[in-house]
Amino acid sequence: MSAHTEDQEQEAPTRDGERGFVQELGFLVLDGLQQARDLYSVFVRTMYFSVYGKSEKGAVLDQIYLQGNQSVFFLTVFMGFFGMILVFQAGVQALRIIPDLTLLGATFLQLLIRDLAASIGALMLATRVGAGIAAEIGSMVVTEQVDALRMCAADPIEYLVVPRFKGGIIATTAVIIWSALVAWTSGMLTAWSFFGVLPRTFANTSMVGVGDLVVGLTKCLAYGAAIPIVSAQSGLSTFGGSEGVGWATTRAVVNSSLAVIMLNFFISAAGLALFP
Amino acid sequence: MVPCLDMAGPVLEASVDDKRGVSFAAGAGFLRISELVGGFALLFWRIVVRIVPPRFDARELKVNLYKMGVKSLPIVAVTALFTGAIMVIQAAPLITRYQAHGLIGWGAGFGTLREIGPLLTALMISGRVGANNAAELGTMVVTEQIDAMRTMAIDPVNYLIAPRFIAVVITLFISTLVADALALFGAAYSCGPLLGIEPRVFYNGLTAGLLNFGDVAHGLIKSVFFGAMIGLSSCYFGTNVSGGAPGVGRAVNATVVVSAASIFVLDYFISFLAA
Repeated sequence: MSAHTEDQEQEAPTRDGERGFVQELGFLVLDGLQQARDLYSVFVRTMYFSVYGKSEKGAVLDQIYLQGNQSVFFLTVFMGFFGMILVFQAGVQALRIIPDLTLLGATFLQLLIRDLAASIGALMLATRVGAGIAAEIGSMVVTEQVDALRMCAADPIEYLVVPRFKGGIIATTAVIIWSALVAWTSGMLTAWSFFGVLPRTFANTSMVGVGDLVVGLTKCLAYGAAIPIVSAQSGLSTFGGSEGVGWATTRAVVNSSLAVIMLNFFISAAGLALFP
Repeated sequence: MVPCLDMAGPVLEASVDDKRGVSFAAGAGFLRISELVGGFALLFWRIVVRIVPPRFDARELKVNLYKMGVKSLPIVAVTALFTGAIMVIQAAPLITRYQAHGLIGWGAGFGTLREIGPLLTALMISGRVGANNAAELGTMVVTEQIDAMRTMAIDPVNYLIAPRFIAVVITLFISTLVADALALFGAAYSCGPLLGIEPRVFYNGLTAGLLNFGDVAHGLIKSVFFGAMIGLSSCYFGTNVSGGAPGVGRAVNATVVVSAASIFVLDYFISFLAA
């Protein structure tokens, strides 16, 4: 089923003319439902096997290393730049309204903990980790290694997805906490050098409450769980040679980024309702 | 066509686990980055030469514009609507603390127009279009279709790369415009249910004079640079694939990582220069 629909999507420019608008809409809805069902099934099986499954020794640690340690450099660079951009833009804009930047640091820290560190960090991780997982699993599907696993009575979800899932949660949380620190430090240096805000004034935690920490950590956990599952589902539904691997990778990046954005919306809204 | 690199290693990652030590890894990383920059510059020059007296394939450009632009619209729309709502949620604590309801339009507006709109659109387009582009070109390389083209005296840069590059730039520019509008729309109509602020108040804050065309232009200028980087990196990694299906996967991975990286770095520099 999934193979069939994907095939049609690839030949879209020629076939699209033949499909009417309603047909196209129905096609999109059916495709979306199919994807959602696939995703749900992968999610449920992952949860089942992470509780009851056997775990291969060291696999989770390997995944923490691959998803976490190997992303540290990448995220350090980007979150450093991101902190600088954010403080710079916020400072310039704030000066248009009030010539007082004493609360810049406090606001920045709250925003960082509540949302931006987790969300922007997770978007970057979604591209890097998601593409990696989908490419790896996709290549295994295409070269029939996953079928070989099934032949050996090893469930691919138990053997491939569960370690990535467990590792992903730990690695994402750890890396995001680190990247929040990096962004905060680079923001502090920017505020000091461009607007003359002293680090002592900038390091103001008065606006950060328990609610912000809870919302931020919930986001870390949710993204850490979502990225591996969404990308693994894309990888497992690969078909058709090297082009298929490319398609799976694309879908993994897009879907996991969308997942991050949607989860962000729901968790933020819940956070706003619970901790106003 | 483009000097072929060692694509095997993960790009832009200092692999200190290499047994040869930190200084070796640092040197290798430096060399890899300089190779990338050189390769990008060469590829860019080759594309510019095809554009200035236009010699690229116009039909291919149209097909790619459809495939990249029109087909990405749903993702861009969903991302933008959610982003608008998220901006409102994030601005909410500040707005309610100071009871400055009139400022919500400005707060969500400047963040969306200057930073988040172009940035998130670029990340989504890089994920969808950039990755797809690299996968397509990579598959063509692996199945020797590009060699076949050269045998038939068709210049692959004219026929494949230049149209894709232009299409990505145009796609991202228009997508950013659409995303800006939709994000503000989403923000305006999520104000009601989330904060009890009417959309009219939001629009008033938006058009009160604190934001001007410069803020929109700032985001749009960024989007052009982001588009160029996505186009360059996807074409570069796509045409430098080696080693079958896993090679294509690696190329897609490298494309996404390098485009995301360069988007952030460029964002920083453009923000400073255009401030």
